[in-house]
Amino acid sequence: MTTVMSKPVSAPGKSIIEKLNFFTALALGAISAIVVWRLALQFLPEDTEVRLFTREDKITLLSMTAWLVGFMTGIGALVGPFRWLMGKDLSHEENMFLAGKDMGIKRYFRYTTDHKVIGIQYLVIIMVIFGIGGILAMLIRTNLGSSEGGWIHPQAYNSIVGTHGIIMIVGTIIMVTGPFGNFIMPIMIGARDMAFPRLNALSFWLIVAAAVPLLWGQFLGGISTGWTAYNPLASQAPLGMDGYIMFICIFAISTMVAGANITTTVVRMRAKGMTWNRTPIFVYGVVASVALGLPAFPVFFLSQIMSAMDRALDTSFYNTAGGGSGWLYENLFWIMGHPEVYVILIPAIAALMEMAPVFTRRPLFSFNVAVMGIAGISGLSVLVWAHHMYLSGWAPLLNTPFMLTTELISIPTGMLFLVLVGTLWRGRLWMTMPTMSIFALLWNFMIGGITGIYLSDVPADAFLHGSMYVTAHFHYTLIGAGLTGALAALVYWFPAMTGRMFDKKLSWVAFWIVQIGFNIAFIGMFTVGLAGQPRRVEAYASTFNTGNMITTGGAYLIMSGMLVLLYGVISSWKSGVKAPKNPWQAKTLEWTVGYPVPLENFEVLPTVTSDPYGYGKAQS
Amino acid sequence: MTDVMTPKAPQWWKKPDVKKTAILWVVCTAVIGYVGAEFHVRNMVSPASETMSGVISLMRVFTWAAAPVAGLVAAMCLTVLTSKRHYGDNPPAEADHQVSNSPRATALWIVVSALLCLFALVGGFIVIQKDSSSLFDKSALQVNVTGQQWLWNFDYENGARSEDLYLPVNKPVVFHITSVDVKHSFWVVQMGIKMDANPGYTTEAAVTPNKIGVFDVRCTELCGLLHAYMQTKVHVVSQADYDAWLSIHVQIEKGA
Amino acid sequence: MDTPQGVLPHATLAISVYPDSMAGSHGKDGGAHPGYVTYGPITNFEVPAHSVITMTVTNYDGGESLNNDFFARVRGTIDGSAQLNGERMTSISPDAVGHTFTIHGIAVGRDEFFLSVPMKAVAEEDMPEEGFTTKPNVTTFTFITGGPGEYVWNCEYPCGDGTIAKFGAAMSTMGYMSGHFTVKG
Repeated sequence: MTTVMSKPVSAPGKSIIEKLNFFTALALGAISAIVVWRLALQFLPEDTEVRLFTREDKITLLSMTAWLVGFMTGIGALVGPFRWLMGKDLSHEENMFLAGKDMGIKRYFRYTTDHKVIGIQYLVIIMVIFGIGGILAMLIRTNLGSSEGGWIHPQAYNSIVGTHGIIMIVGTIIMVTGPFGNFIMPIMIGARDMAFPRLNALSFWLIVAAAVPLLWGQFLGGISTGWTAYNPLASQAPLGMDGYIMFICIFAISTMVAGANITTTVVRMRAKGMTWNRTPIFVYGVVASVALGLPAFPVFFLSQIMSAMDRALDTSFYNTAGGGSGWLYENLFWIMGHPEVYVILIPAIAALMEMAPVFTRRPLFSFNVAVMGIAGISGLSVLVWAHHMYLSGWAPLLNTPFMLTTELISIPTGMLFLVLVGTLWRGRLWMTMPTMSIFALLWNFMIGGITGIYLSDVPADAFLHGSMYVTAHFHYTLIGAGLTGALAALVYWFPAMTGRMFDKKLSWVAFWIVQIGFNIAFIGMFTVGLAGQPRRVEAYASTFNTGNMITTGGAYLIMSGMLVLLYGVISSWKSGVKAPKNPWQAKTLEWTVGYPVPLENFEVLPTVTSDPYGYGKAQS
Repeated sequence: MTDVMTPKAPQWWKKPDVKKTAILWVVCTAVIGYVGAEFHVRNMVSPASETMSGVISLMRVFTWAAAPVAGLVAAMCLTVLTSKRHYGDNPPAEADHQVSNSPRATALWIVVSALLCLFALVGGFIVIQKDSSSLFDKSALQVNVTGQQWLWNFDYENGARSEDLYLPVNKPVVFHITSVDVKHSFWVVQMGIKMDANPGYTTEAAVTPNKIGVFDVRCTELCGLLHAYMQTKVHVVSQADYDAWLSIHVQIEKGA
Repeated sequence: MDTPQGVLPHATLAISVYPDSMAGSHGKDGGAHPGYVTYGPITNFEVPAHSVITMTVTNYDGGESLNNDFFARVRGTIDGSAQLNGERMTSISPDAVGHTFTIHGIAVGRDEFFLSVPMKAVAEEDMPEEGFTTKPNVTTFTFITGGPGEYVWNCEYPCGDGTIAKFGAAMSTMGYMSGHFTVKG
């Protein structure tokens, strides 16, 4: 991008943008939170009646909001809007600085707008999230290693379960669209950056800001309600619940912003010649995922605002005694909750569909069916939420129609299977960890999908609902399918993102340990579910001992596999083999730019003339 | 677009990989169907009601219905995996075809999956119909179930109350379920019924126990601190034993 | 001790219920939640299996109505009765319950165990502004333990003021109105 205009005389010294970074954000966030906390403590009136939580809830929510505002100001998110308000936008110099012109390490700690920097930031924060969520998972499994209540206190246990749940859900939502949707996708479509680079930075830093209330909540009694935070239990829960509420509200904003940004980018900024038929399937997956977030997350945001009002302002949206209903919360929650599982799944499967032609050296089988499958799943997924409420008693007459929509999803899901299997069929199998991940996904997702059919059937659900069977089922879909796809994507795009190959041996070792451990763990969990162990219990009858021991053993295997993978990431990133320009000899645009990718990706914007899956020899 | 069936190629079903897949398909279907069905049936609790027996046979049927699809995917994967694989840092030669579509295979796949879906739906609808009609059985025993953090208690028609549930065998019973605090879920494990207990509302569930014995009631909705301990027993006894138990417990409630 | 089940060993336990945790097991400053109502001095009990246990609970707290009358009756003690201030009773008015002491657990693979005893509330006029009442209600009850196992106990009188259904706060925090009840082999 060259602008022929005389440089404005910049003010002497560093401009405000150059001074702000992660550490000023932390400082300003902490100071604002403390100041508002002290002020609220001083000036908020005492509650007239004995209301243990209401005043404390107000104070907590106010200080957490102050943290958010302080942090976002400190990182520099408000500089742009403020300047715009004053009638003078950022100068070109400042924009280039924000884009990370210096290419230094420091830009990773700033409000940098370059999509590649944000992709790496996402990758790192996801590893942190999975690290924390994984430790919590191991605590849960270790505690469940013996029946009748382990060594973790029931309160702490409930909180660990809730925190593990929500942190992993958030981690998996951003695990593909975060790093790869940001780093790879714009290059893949031949764009210089996202449509709204500053909004892109905003969605990332909001996630960082959101993490703090969640951690803060752990010291205020924790999230004792499970990740669903059903009301009225959430109204009864300790102050830690406010941390959850704040976390969700901030995360929902981040997701909405990212959704609008990515959708616009793909619709408006594809390279010349990249018709919808020539747009890689991964791009469809990312767009479907973030577009689904657009209807889902505002509802989630709203549900938590109402939850906060019930707690702090004594409203009664969800309190039956005051005219509200817990069913309202359940509806709002699952209107977000079911699309959200496809927000997680679709991009992971699309990533594997992207890799399948590369590693079989043949065209993607039935591109149109793949698009149809993704569209079909996305469309239906907003119509199935009440299958989580078959047995809530809310509307028994609606069970039949919701069973219909739920089971219809198996048709577009089947299409994705067809595309993957069809692509493998008569291909030249290039054995890499991503290739094997396709098989692993088919295996795991088959189990997750078929168990999903039992659960979608109302009479069978009357037995299975709320049992460990459900827990095993959704781990099969979210980890077995989702995470498998994300890890394959990591290995596949590692050279594009770091300039180095992912250590081949380590990727294989990690793959097998994780997959074997995973199947042991969750098949064990299926058995205890079928035998009647409820979910989210800290203690269980001794009849469930064996199954739980198996699951705990499997969980330790998963952990060791993930540690191998982590070691692989670190060592390959630091000192892996330097990657050639297009190590997999793929035909998509992200492999044309080399490493390091120049600041704005393409000197000359590319023109696309063929479809991205033109592999194989033409038959004579 | 090239179809799998090009005129000059040998008829598609005579190709060796197709034959191999066909054989594997039969084997995989049988293995998946059998292992899947047995896995579920053996791990599930033994039924104490018609409803639960229905759930078990439903799962057996669904597993077998899904087995051919899973079997086909498995068979194709196995064929691919056992054909020539390429290891190394450089890609293998390009595949010797450019098939990017097969309308026939696609259409067949979609039709079959739609039929399977329809089958599952019809199966489910029939059972739902049966289950919901039993709620209106006038001759049924009526029991009020109250969930409370972290206990269940039961009220019988004649005023008796208990913390563990007593039921006569082979008599339909309708539960009226509610909660006095937060949401709970009433699960009679071996009878295959479950219904949430909502504060301020009453929900219904119906079942006919058909086996004498002691069974489990567990809460399946996280309800706070001692959720894991919110469990009790169901004693299914003969009508005579039930009547005797009831008369004693009415006495207790009236004040011994 | 002579029981319908034959001669069994005998153990006793004496605890109290305090309207705020300043007097419980939570230290002189009332611990993390000085305002919480609490059982004390301990909330985790260990008792021998197959024994007769006599518990005495001194209730210094007031009270109101139960949200479930079921817990106004003595359940699970020997002959279903308890001694309230020295007099035998089997239930108290559901409108005058201070707290309950209710034991339950996971009833699979070990003996069933359920016990619930209501504690009469101290009358409002006897509740002083400062300090503790001089007229606490003393409830004594006797029950027989089964085989070894981990159980829990909690109070079923809604006393977590300021939360939905009054079951949050002290009611949802271990060590106040709930705890473990271990039967040792």
